[in-house]
Amino acid sequence: MLHLLQNSDWVKRLGRVVATLEDGLLVLILASMIGLAGTQILLRNLFDSGIAWIDPLLRVLVLWLGMLGAMAATRDDHHIRIDVVSRFLNPRQKNVALAVTSLFSAIVCGVIAWYGARFVSMEWGDETVVFAAVPAWLTELIIPVGFGMMAVRSLLLFSSCLFAMRQHRL
Amino acid sequence: MILTALLLVALALMGAPLFAVIAAGALLGFYRSEVDLSVVAIEFYRLAEMPVLLAIPLFTFAGYVLSESNAAGRLVYLTRALLGWMPGGLAIVSLIACALFTAFTGASGVTIVALGALLYPALQQAGYRDNFNLGLITTSGSLGLLFAPSLPLILYAIVTQQLGLGEPLGVDEMFLAGIFPGILMLVLLSVWVLWSNRTQQLSEFSLAEALDALWQARWELPLPFIVLGGIYSGYFAVSEAAAVTALYVLVVEVFIYREIKLHQLPMIMRNAMVLVGAILLILGVSLASTNYLIDAEVPTRLFDTIRAYVDSKLAFLVLLNIFLLVLGTMLDIFSALVIMVPLLLPVAIGYGIDPVHLGIIFLANMQIGYFTPPVGMNLFIASYRFNKPVMQLYRATWPFFLILLSAVLIITYWPALSLWLPGR
Repeated sequence: MLHLLQNSDWVKRLGRVVATLEDGLLVLILASMIGLAGTQILLRNLFDSGIAWIDPLLRVLVLWLGMLGAMAATRDDHHIRIDVVSRFLNPRQKNVALAVTSLFSAIVCGVIAWYGARFVSMEWGDETVVFAAVPAWLTELIIPVGFGMMAVRSLLLFSSCLFAMRQHRL
Repeated sequence: MILTALLLVALALMGAPLFAVIAAGALLGFYRSEVDLSVVAIEFYRLAEMPVLLAIPLFTFAGYVLSESNAAGRLVYLTRALLGWMPGGLAIVSLIACALFTAFTGASGVTIVALGALLYPALQQAGYRDNFNLGLITTSGSLGLLFAPSLPLILYAIVTQQLGLGEPLGVDEMFLAGIFPGILMLVLLSVWVLWSNRTQQLSEFSLAEALDALWQARWELPLPFIVLGGIYSGYFAVSEAAAVTALYVLVVEVFIYREIKLHQLPMIMRNAMVLVGAILLILGVSLASTNYLIDAEVPTRLFDTIRAYVDSKLAFLVLLNIFLLVLGTMLDIFSALVIMVPLLLPVAIGYGIDPVHLGIIFLANMQIGYFTPPVGMNLFIASYRFNKPVMQLYRATWPFFLILLSAVLIITYWPALSLWLPGR
């Protein structure tokens, strides 16, 4: 199983495709954010008007941007952490620490994704609307999807740590 | 309960992402009090309900664009042309340039890497002592944290707004409150710099060079005025000022100076958003953990416990300084804010400390935590960047550390310094 995950071209290729999609969406959202916020300010100052749906949309985009950025941070292993202890560990101990902490993150993210999905399905039933005709569940969808992806990536990291451990012993 | 807490701390020390540690704390807490765990996702969704958060990605993006362009070089050239003639001029240039740059880019070590590369050789050439240069650059890496539009100031206001204590505190109030304490730090450091380099040779002031430097920086010079003037005059909301800054910086660096090619933008955007994602993720899960802490009345109980041992405001402030100093060496400023402020603020208010003042004390303390031996982050960044042993950096930074420590003490015990401008 481990070997399969580590060596499968298919898994690697899928990972790269998903990563490119995530990054593309991230850049697109930031660009539209700057554009929309700029438009709104221009409208307010030059024409003393504004578009009603821009402000709520911008708020939702912040959540999406944050989630996508967090997913990228998981991929890059760039999450905010305390690295006081790790400076004093040898490579082998570091690998063990990484295995433990990535399994831990995977579990936490998985739990949030699961309960996030329940939250989304509740809102689906309630048919709540955020703004214009955009349903709340759609804007909330990024929470289970994002945490789900982070859980998967952390799990992959965990498996590669185990793999490294086994390599070491051989 | 205590066992779980210890386990979480152990995981954090092993290097687990802090968002996961905070989230695990919230999940376990809610689980124990038999609340449906969907509450964590619901609280997380509140990230989409705070208009001011828009400022975080936009200011961060602007900062990343600036640090990828030649803005740092122009800033150094300009301040040097204007101040280089003074004794210790170049060192003061470094302080001011770093403070301005950090305010816009955040104290993530970017200043040391981007400006240090320019200033370190320049200082060496001008004949300053090596240890002095190292200490100066390392210290300057976190200087400017108290000036708008630095992210920690924004984040502190946002975190306090979530606590629902009395009248809400605005980002603009924090921006005002940071000005004098920030200037105090600059002034104290400048005095030390002047005194320790009183024998330094002076270079002559050249009007032609000053004008040339002003001309080169003509597009970036308006930036602080747009941000500060816009916000302080009430013309822009904070998030609007961030949008204007992002747009302005984008146009100036990409289309006018042309130092950043269009095809580089996606990568810069992505890198900036990785930092934003890491911060917002921690903020999001901490909304849930804060909610749990308040439900469980932890801040109140904490206050009662501390009250039993510490009876005066002064004693509390002393303990606060020591605690934050230690905290600052281990935790980064963003995690420290979202974890500690919900606990500390109710206690501090109980001792009659103004929330704005607490914020400034908190950030000023965290700022020196960046280079407090033995584990301050900037010590390692500087050691890596300039290829010097960390031990040498300990020696090089200690005078600067003492000066800023005294600044922190003045800030702590003289509330009016922070509170006069916001009028509290």
